[in-house]
Amino acid sequence: MQDNSTYKISSEVSSKINKWLLKFPDGKKKPAIIYALHLIQKENKYIKSIHVDALANFLNLKNIDVYEIAAFYSMFELEKIGKHTISVCTNVSCMLNGSDEILSYLESKLKIKVGRSSDKYFLKDERECLAACCGAPMMQVDHKYYENLTKEKIDKIITEIENE
Amino acid sequence: MNNNIRVNELCYSTLSSKNPNSFDTYVSLGGYSTWKNIVTTSYDRKEIIETILKSGLRGRGGAGFPTGRKWSFINQDSEDIKYLVCNADESEPGTCKDRDILRYNPHALIEGMLIASYAIGANTAYCYLRGEFMDDVYSSFKKALADAYENKLIGNNILKTNINIELHDLIGAGAYIVGEETAMLESIEGKKGFPRFKPPFPAVKGLFGSPTIINNVETLASVPKIMENGPEWFKSAGTKDSPGFKCFSVSGHVNKPGNYEIPLGTPFKKLLELAGGMKDGKKIKAVIPGGSSVPVVPGKVMLETNMDYESITQAGSLLGSGAVIIMDEDTNMVEVIHRIARFYYSESCGQCTPCREGTGWMFKIIDKILNGKANLEDIKTLESIPSMISGSTICALGDAAAMPVESFIKHYKNEFLRYINHENQNKEKIFSSNNNNEFVLQKK
Ligand SMILES: Cc1cc2nc3c(=O)[nH]c(=O)nc-3n(C[C@H](O)[C@H](O)[C@H](O)COP(=O)(O)O)c2cc1C
Ligand code: SF4
Ligand code: FES
Repeated sequence: MQDNSTYKISSEVSSKINKWLLKFPDGKKKPAIIYALHLIQKENKYIKSIHVDALANFLNLKNIDVYEIAAFYSMFELEKIGKHTISVCTNVSCMLNGSDEILSYLESKLKIKVGRSSDKYFLKDERECLAACCGAPMMQVDHKYYENLTKEKIDKIITEIENE
Repeated sequence: MNNNIRVNELCYSTLSSKNPNSFDTYVSLGGYSTWKNIVTTSYDRKEIIETILKSGLRGRGGAGFPTGRKWSFINQDSEDIKYLVCNADESEPGTCKDRDILRYNPHALIEGMLIASYAIGANTAYCYLRGEFMDDVYSSFKKALADAYENKLIGNNILKTNINIELHDLIGAGAYIVGEETAMLESIEGKKGFPRFKPPFPAVKGLFGSPTIINNVETLASVPKIMENGPEWFKSAGTKDSPGFKCFSVSGHVNKPGNYEIPLGTPFKKLLELAGGMKDGKKIKAVIPGGSSVPVVPGKVMLETNMDYESITQAGSLLGSGAVIIMDEDTNMVEVIHRIARFYYSESCGQCTPCREGTGWMFKIIDKILNGKANLEDIKTLESIPSMISGSTICALGDAAAMPVESFIKHYKNEFLRYINHENQNKEKIFSSNNNNEFVLQKK
């Protein structure tokens, strides 16, 4: 997370954060951290220390308040990752329906190990169940659900991304 | 086959409509009539709580606490600020029922949240969705919320009655522990999801220090129809002690995995039939009847068990969130518990030593067993860990991690022993499946 440049929260993001703050009692700023980090991550793909500093500054909080959140919640990426995030659920219902083969297939197809990233794809080491157990095996690509996966389906999904 | 079983009458009642999640569909099925009646007649708050109490509705998030009783813990007449929080963090492994309510019947949840807020005297309600729902699930809920606002059913001066209730959507960012109610309050306040010590209970000191009621999506989505049709209607389904309907997420080795909302007390056999029976005509070996946090039950016991709180307890497990994970005769039980143990180890927040260390030990020993590197001593150690965790932690994640391990050893010890004795004919499978399970710690 090291970077000497500075970062300025865009006016679009800052107005969204300000609107979000209206949901909470007057003067409470912390409740906007998670939402704001999502917005920043969306713009920048992953969270750098300059983002944390800028957000803390914007919300008038200590850097550690923001950093803690970025580190605690698994959806925030603190290292450089590729353009698309793929999370294959390997929790129990998915495992019973062949999620491990799906994951291996993706590993060899994308030529990356789980937990690693290429410029184009980040194959997240997902430990949680993603609440689509009745459509097992399943995965999320940039948080969009794909259920009842087969190798053929994966080929199709990846081809679609490649042709974007 | 299922002509004598009532399916999808409550939380999934819009499913048979063409646009299940639209405002018009919900209203055409009688939706929001209860809410309109409540606000326009200044309905007595105590009467709402009384009705929910009488219905016998129990919390559908996992713990099964009577909803009416929970609501009655709030001092409705005090002038204090109060909050309602809807737990839409759905992340108990095996559970995907709330996601379908959020996608297909979001208005029932919104109306339920409004009625609950009114009953406890809260002017602000939050619905906290897990971060991974940020795409279509969240959109469906947000659209419904916007429609309800537009129709003046929420907000300031609802239907010109001077009643004000704001309902806000919130989004998480990935953490199983945030499903625990006090961790959720921390998360809403913009902190790490660390469960709080109880007491004080949230009904006394909850969100931003104010009295707060937290309920699951399904619990709240059940409220409008109970109010509309009366507690007797609800009790016409289910058993004496487990009245009403419950959504079950049936997953695993079945032909038609899916969410089925059926009367509590329905025989498991019937539910299995609804789910299309066992895949490939295989025999049933085991069932986890309430999400990965509850003990496993041998298939032959389950086949004689009914799906209600009491019967499942008698069968040695818990109804939990209603996630029914079904395993066939070929299932390797050590692999299954390995996956479950890995999950709790990754998700323990680390505040309590027994949970932090215990989940780590359990996972490491099971990993060793699965790798064929364990000895009998290791199994003995593994057997001793659950009792060291249970009951000595801040939140129930510790128990949730311990109970499954205990039950898997209890019922399937021979499978653990086979790894010790190196008699497993399927060794290749053991080792190859383990390649993906490299012992990597995720950031915490
Ligand atoms: C580790 C842990 C995870 C939990 N996850 C969820 C969850 O994802 N959704 C949920 O509704 N309740 C979850 N709960 C239960 C909540 O703490 C709480 O009991 C529930 O939301 C109360 O609502 P109810 O009374 O309507 O069931 C979890 C509990 C624990 C200990
Ligand atoms: S029991 Fe585990 S998850 Fe719960 S507070 Fe303690 S360490 Fe955290
Ligand atoms: S187990 Fe994979 S989505 Fe739930």
